[in-house]
Amino acid sequence: MPDNFESFIQQHRDEFEGPGPSPRVWAALEKDLTEQRQGRVVQLLRKNWFKAAVIAVLMINAAAIFYFTGHKRHQQQELSAISPDLQEARAYYTTRINAKLQLIDAYPANELGLDSAARQELQLRNDTYKALEKELKNNPGNERIRAALIRYYQLKLDLLDKILEELQDRHAVPGHTKKQYEVEI
Amino acid sequence: MKASATNLNQTQIAENVIDRCKKGDVRAFHELYNAYSAAMYNICLRMTNNVSDAEDTLQEAFIQVHKHIGKLERDASISAWIKRIVVNHCLNTLRKKKVYFEEVEEVEVMAEDGIDEAQFSWTVAAVKSAIHGLPHGYRTVLNLYLFESYSHREIAEMLGITESTVKTQYMRAKEKVRQIVKQQNVTR
Repeated sequence: MPDNFESFIQQHRDEFEGPGPSPRVWAALEKDLTEQRQGRVVQLLRKNWFKAAVIAVLMINAAAIFYFTGHKRHQQQELSAISPDLQEARAYYTTRINAKLQLIDAYPANELGLDSAARQELQLRNDTYKALEKELKNNPGNERIRAALIRYYQLKLDLLDKILEELQDRHAVPGHTKKQYEVEI
Repeated sequence: MKASATNLNQTQIAENVIDRCKKGDVRAFHELYNAYSAAMYNICLRMTNNVSDAEDTLQEAFIQVHKHIGKLERDASISAWIKRIVVNHCLNTLRKKKVYFEEVEEVEVMAEDGIDEAQFSWTVAAVKSAIHGLPHGYRTVLNLYLFESYSHREIAEMLGITESTVKTQYMRAKEKVRQIVKQQNVTR
């Protein structure tokens, strides 16, 4: 049960309220928020620069694979002669990788968000890919290089899956893309 | 503009103001600030006990409101949410000033002999002045319970002390206010 003191406070509660803060509080707050917004715009520009770079990497990837499959006939003979198994694996992984790159490309540039580690990994694998291709041409019968190339394809596929998962978690997935991705899984 | 504590929960802001704030609309944030700043400033003033700290604390709290408003769930009470941020910032301000909220022994606090409340008059000014003169710890507990309507348990969680300590501090704070107000009555 409230005592006299508590009852008094309850009865006069509004009388304990005074005027609001001086206008300088909002002025300082507005200045701070404006600076924050400007900082955010710079951050956004930086972020978009990375996104644009990632798109470019993906497009280069897609172009490389397109180029690769465009020259399929020429290389097919060479690879078939070397290893029918590798040719089969190459066709399988190329199709899968191409499909995932298409799904990623379906996202608008401003929806794409990849962390720096994923971006670095993507770049690193491109270098690995080029190095392996070169090695394989120089040593067509080398089992170790063939195994490494298969591993490269698997890792690339895993990475693209991770990127798609991240996109799905972070952003609204375009309807058709989601369905395609769900089918993919 | 004078704040109204009892109507804080009913403070009306246009429905889309929060949505616009979430999109970073500074004008909408100004509307939100205008709706709540007076009541929140009064909390800051009661808690920190001086204008300069109250204004700084209010500003810092509203920066946090702006930063995190995107996380506010649609059904959540905006006033309770802002109030909690403000109170937390007030407590941080007090901690920076080395105000510690320590455990005290649970003892029954008896009204001091000779204090007959019927013999003296309570006035808002006298009570305000008495609360202003309380030690930080007592004043914090009394403010949070009596003016901000937090339960003893909620206050205990905020301050990191036991509920029984909160109750004891509150009783002592009330007793101290009574003594000060009585003294003011005597010297009048």
